[in-house]
Amino acid sequence: MGELLQYVITGLAIGMVYSLIALCFVVVWKSSGVANLALGQLVFVSSWFAYEMLYQRGLPEWLGLILVIVFALILGWLIERIVLRPLIAQPILSLITVTLGLGYFLQGLAGIIWSQSLVPFQLFSEQPIHIGNAIIKQQELWAALISLLLFGLLSLYFRYNKMGVAMRATADDQKAVQACGIPVTRIFSRSWMFSCVLAAVAGVLISSIAGSVGNSLIPTGLQAFSVVILGGLDSFLGAIIAGPIIGLAEIVGSGYLTSLTWPGIREVVPFIIIILVMFVKPYGLFGEERIERI
Amino acid sequence: MDLPAGTRNYSYSEDATIFRTKTQKILLTLLVLVLLTAPLWFGNYWLSVANLIGITIISVTGLNLLTGYCGQLSIGHAGFMAVGAYTSAFLTQQFGMPFPVALISAGLLAGAVGMIFGIPSLRVKGFYLAISTIAAQFIIIWVIQHWTPVTGGFSGLDVEPASILGFVFKSQMSKFYLILVITAAAIFAAKNIARSRVGRAFVAIRDNDLAAEVMGINLFRYKLTAFFIGCFYAGIAGSLIAHTGATISDAHFPFMDSVLFIGMIIIGGAGTTIGPIFGVLFIRLLDVLVTKLSPALQSAFPHLPPGFTSGIAPLLFGLAIILFLIFEPRGMAHRWQLFKSSYRLWPFSY
Repeated sequence: MGELLQYVITGLAIGMVYSLIALCFVVVWKSSGVANLALGQLVFVSSWFAYEMLYQRGLPEWLGLILVIVFALILGWLIERIVLRPLIAQPILSLITVTLGLGYFLQGLAGIIWSQSLVPFQLFSEQPIHIGNAIIKQQELWAALISLLLFGLLSLYFRYNKMGVAMRATADDQKAVQACGIPVTRIFSRSWMFSCVLAAVAGVLISSIAGSVGNSLIPTGLQAFSVVILGGLDSFLGAIIAGPIIGLAEIVGSGYLTSLTWPGIREVVPFIIIILVMFVKPYGLFGEERIERI
Repeated sequence: MDLPAGTRNYSYSEDATIFRTKTQKILLTLLVLVLLTAPLWFGNYWLSVANLIGITIISVTGLNLLTGYCGQLSIGHAGFMAVGAYTSAFLTQQFGMPFPVALISAGLLAGAVGMIFGIPSLRVKGFYLAISTIAAQFIIIWVIQHWTPVTGGFSGLDVEPASILGFVFKSQMSKFYLILVITAAAIFAAKNIARSRVGRAFVAIRDNDLAAEVMGINLFRYKLTAFFIGCFYAGIAGSLIAHTGATISDAHFPFMDSVLFIGMIIIGGAGTTIGPIFGVLFIRLLDVLVTKLSPALQSAFPHLPPGFTSGIAPLLFGLAIILFLIFEPRGMAHRWQLFKSSYRLWPFSY
């Protein structure tokens, strides 16, 4: 019983971080229609930056984390301004490929600056908490808490802030928004900055759960696509709900399946889910089904 | 087909000829001569580079038929290559099949696996398909890593060198000729597939799938055909990798290669036969340049960070993909076309 409880809590915590990564895809996809495949690399780069700030420079945690957020904002602004702005209204194939190139670039850059393959990373107390006979890492609880807080803040922002409302409107109909005099390019820029901040937070949280920063963060970013697919590409709610589902499936499934199949199934469970969703319900749980007419 | 000033087609066979004018034929002969005598002046290192380039051209040509012509983005091509490589290695090792049979079976099985992962393409496209092919890559590699009785697991398999009718392709030179012949056949086949009914159906699907369906093109059939052909090429390339290197393991087919293949198509020019050749040459030669140059730079400038040698290659690849998409989205093939037409129209360039 304790085993199951432990799996469930770990799964939920990891799932919520997945939701954060999925949200940084959805934010950009909804506002500008760019499919960002460089999620893993964004998470990767910002985790390394956090490591640099907290360990190499030895800054206090609060200052280091604020700098990580600032770094993410600048990164997002630069990406949109330099890479995506010249490609507005290009076919989807170019938009997907350019993010792949961006991912390659960021990975190379991080490899040049931080050449170690794996470094320890610890943010919250290591002391585990006992609930019943399950042993829960404190980092997981923190990750879940911070993710929930961010979900709340984001939904408030999109509901009440003027810019948030404008972003939702852009997602709905770009041309109408432009006709109303809302600067669409600024909204694109804003959404990329948002996306990078979410990626940075997710990166810090997932590194603190894993206790290390390393190359495995890039596949983690790709695994988060299962959340995007399951929840539906254009649904915030879908991403938030699908994250914990995927996390649970990954942890609980691999906890009990490893003895039945081969080890390491944890890494492919999200990909198997992607294929299953593709066959059964390709637009996800909450995604809008596109009906095309000539 | 554009022709130089003063040349006309008077029959259908002339119209369908690939190499039409005397200049083209002379240039083709020269190219063939250069390629055939290449082992004489290439060292062993450059021959191995040329072999890698040839194999990559086969795989990327297949991907170009799938992505460039048919518009179905696949980011799992290295995975399909792995299927071909392991099929061929397994068949020759366990059943003692001759290399040509194993080569073809590798293509067929990779094609079949590609078709399975291509089935979602009927209902979804664009980003969804990209994700499902990424998933394909990771699932295939995971199966290869763990299905130890067949694939040897993490340690991989030892593979015998290719042999046809008792002749064993052991030296770099013989491998070069083997790969050269297969690459040429693959490019020729791709050119003709692209000109045939199937290829034109692919282009129609890429440009507007709804209109294509209304015109009577069976979308499901042609999309799966595209996946089959594209992955067949990947399987052939994988089999060649297996039989020209002594061993294979899952590390030969990383996810980043799949991304790089897409980049090669973009840099070369999607939807042209010549594009993949340019793209592969560009990226592979850039790779050679970086591996040759970066240790020298590292020792010349000791202040460079220690990760410089390993990180500079992906950085440059990514930068090349981004710059080409922004400044020359039609790739090097388009530049080549411009160069040819300015030459062709001379001296009446207005």
